Amino acid sequence: MSWVTPHAPRPDELSSCIQCGLCLPSCPTFRLTGLETASPRGRLTAMSAVAAGRPVDGRFEEIMGACLQCRACEVVCPSFVPFGRAMEGARAEIAAQTSGIDRRLRRLVTARLLRSRTAVRLGTLAASIAQSLQLTRLAPRRIRGNLTGLRPLKARPPSIVGRIRAAEGEKRGVAALVAGCVMDAWFGDVHTATVELLAAAGWEVVSPRGQTCCGALAAHDGWADDTRKMASVNMAAFRDVDLVVVNSAGCGAHMKEYDHWVDGGEDLAARVADVNEVVAEAITDGRLPRLSADGGLVAVQDPCHLRHVQRITDQPRAILAAAGLTVVEIDPSGLCCGAAGIYSVLEPEMSRRLGSSKAGQVEATGAPLVASANPGCEIQLRSYLSELGHAARVAHPVEIYWEALQRADRQAAVR
Amino acid sequence: MVSSLELELRRRLGDEQVASDPLDLYVFGKDSGLVRGEPGLVVFPRSTGEVATIMRLAGRHRVPVVPRGSGTGLAGGAVTTGPHVLLVTTRMNRIGPVDVENRCVWVQPGVINLDLSVHTTPFGLHYAPDPSSQSVCTIGGNVANNSGGPHCLAEGTTVNHVLAMEIVTPDGDIVTIGGPAPDPIGLDVRGLMVGSEGTLGIVTDALVNLLPNPPASRTILLAFPEVQNAAATVSGIIANGLIPAALEMMDQPMTIAVERFANAGFPTESAAVLIAEVTGHPSAVDAEAELVRRLAVSHRATLTRIASDEAERKRIWLGRKSAFGAIAQMNPDYYLHDTVVPRTRLVEAIEETYAISKRHGIPMLNVFHAGDGNLHPLMSFDASVPGVMERVDAAGRDLIEMCVAIGGSLSGEHGIGMEKRDYMPLVFDEMGLDAQARIREAFDPDGRLNPGKIVPQGSRCFDFGRPPPVGVWV
Repeated sequence: MSWVTPHAPRPDELSSCIQCGLCLPSCPTFRLTGLETASPRGRLTAMSAVAAGRPVDGRFEEIMGACLQCRACEVVCPSFVPFGRAMEGARAEIAAQTSGIDRRLRRLVTARLLRSRTAVRLGTLAASIAQSLQLTRLAPRRIRGNLTGLRPLKARPPSIVGRIRAAEGEKRGVAALVAGCVMDAWFGDVHTATVELLAAAGWEVVSPRGQTCCGALAAHDGWADDTRKMASVNMAAFRDVDLVVVNSAGCGAHMKEYDHWVDGGEDLAARVADVNEVVAEAITDGRLPRLSADGGLVAVQDPCHLRHVQRITDQPRAILAAAGLTVVEIDPSGLCCGAAGIYSVLEPEMSRRLGSSKAGQVEATGAPLVASANPGCEIQLRSYLSELGHAARVAHPVEIYWEALQRADRQAAVR
Repeated sequence: MVSSLELELRRRLGDEQVASDPLDLYVFGKDSGLVRGEPGLVVFPRSTGEVATIMRLAGRHRVPVVPRGSGTGLAGGAVTTGPHVLLVTTRMNRIGPVDVENRCVWVQPGVINLDLSVHTTPFGLHYAPDPSSQSVCTIGGNVANNSGGPHCLAEGTTVNHVLAMEIVTPDGDIVTIGGPAPDPIGLDVRGLMVGSEGTLGIVTDALVNLLPNPPASRTILLAFPEVQNAAATVSGIIANGLIPAALEMMDQPMTIAVERFANAGFPTESAAVLIAEVTGHPSAVDAEAELVRRLAVSHRATLTRIASDEAERKRIWLGRKSAFGAIAQMNPDYYLHDTVVPRTRLVEAIEETYAISKRHGIPMLNVFHAGDGNLHPLMSFDASVPGVMERVDAAGRDLIEMCVAIGGSLSGEHGIGMEKRDYMPLVFDEMGLDAQARIREAFDPDGRLNPGKIVPQGSRCFDFGRPPPVGVWV
């Protein structure tokens, strides 16, 4: 049966793995299970088996489904195997070759509902009601962690889409903020901080109408055609801006790889920057200030798609230091926190083990504040920290920096 | 046959500890080497007791058992030669309490080599053998192959670092071999076990030596216009009475592939790069590093750089240890060879290697433990091209024969496994092979453990006197 779509793992992608095994210890699921079949090398071997004629069957689906797509393996691969691309291809094959109600539901959520602003707003309204009635703990176990990890939601949150913020000082160009699906509805404070910091750094900030969800979750789950559609919509919406700024690590990582999905995608991909890159650069250039140390501690959590895919690790630390905080490391060679998009819902057991372990490491640092630049990681951390009874606050690095700047301004005004 | 064994194993160990789906068997059908062989069943024991259970049940069903760690072997040692039970040790990864005073620790076979050294860092100790795959490979696999690594030049290989072992015999008995004393009384069964590639027993716990971390080290990167200059420097260093902790060499094609990944500052325009590491007292290492530098300069070194900090040192070693993985940048397939020549014949061996490469039209990149004459020619090719595999085989045979002819040996550290089994008669005569077959028979008369490895078929003089059990010695 083998492969049936043009997205399938390509022969050159599969043959670029020589099975040296250096990826094994960086893989969270191999670490937890000790199984070759739960390792990057084993998954590539399974893909090769299908390429050689084995069917895409239930066991293949299980083996591929257990992957977090954290891409830690890519960093340590001396042969530069494009594992993430191959895995997205394998998922696309599974999506094309299997059916069932759960598959249809997954497509509905990742590829349809997240594209609809109305659907996300309705979901937000429902979740905010559940929060205010304290019903989140009664939710089914599979999604309970995700609900308890949410920030307090607004029933009708304002949207960033369509807003324009003028640049302060000498204008560097026009930067478009990617509103995102849940970022816009659930993380309004992160958007506010992003817009204000970009403006202060000399960017005119827009968030064009006509944009949609980046498509990362759909891509990771194998909905290739939907992914391509979403990428095309965004390519049109962000055509005329100088810079496309993303404040969700997973979305930024995916948009930097639009060329995998759509011809001409490299034009947008090249203009995408994570907000950590832009703000850290402005701090280095002196367009944004460095505050003096106030003695506070902050633990840094590196979202996998920031660290492994975008290879961004210094910038959030520089931003937090500029906020006057002392950065403490959680776990330098750390594994994924287990959020991994919809993985926490699909593979709750593995996700739980990784989430608890990460929360334990955060607690051990003693820091009252944790910085995470990805919504999924933030929700996961908050959920498992609260389970531990540890009261640390979890927030986005630029949000922490923006708050510190405002505090410093207020203190200066009082003096 | 396998299915009733599978049912029993599932009942005794639990479904989570057994895999039998055809796709799982395919995935577990290979290690890092070239040979493929699918097991009939894969089991993941969590304890010595479970290993004993597996051995007893498999013995009762007359199905051989093959142990496997992380599967980074290069000689097919952990690849089954039939539908055997593959016993994977990765879930036996407990590190016992560190005996700081006596500098040793009991570790289970599935512990990853580097994890052990990371674990003992707070005590200022480390586990010395450091194969390139040390971030992945397991202690069990290291014991099975008597693994070395760059630092075995001064510290010795695995056999010098294992004090005692708990093993499960082919009958499923649990036996302890050796003890904390460095020199065991009676026959040195411990020495026999190390390097036996899982053919004599399954190691389920090992008491390993830990060494104090050196108070100071200097890592020196040297580059030369000719391979001969690098080799002469190696000889010069040793002749001057210096035993560096490591002395590693890479030729130009290898350096180019590695530099792209590691950005370690390897000069890609040089014919050969030498990495020397000296360790010891802070005052001594500077003098030794200076001696190494002077010797290199006297042999036309174009670069002599001492790593300025730990980050630079780590990058240099990352580069060296990624060498084999980096080869896929060139071609989809590789064959990493492992042979030994006397250090004094290094230049000759390298020139011969290039000649063999040219003769068979198979590019070879070279990376080797120069200090102890352990060569690792890496052939790079595309197996899908018709006729390539025959040329690779022929080149491999020429390499081995060349090394043996100039006084070397079959394997430095990767083991014999399946890959080199049939080359054994090149270095052992009939009596030598018969002796090994007898030793094996003494431990495992029915061929229940890792059959078809190391000792070539027909080694035992009366191999055919007794009918082999079903499924064994294939």
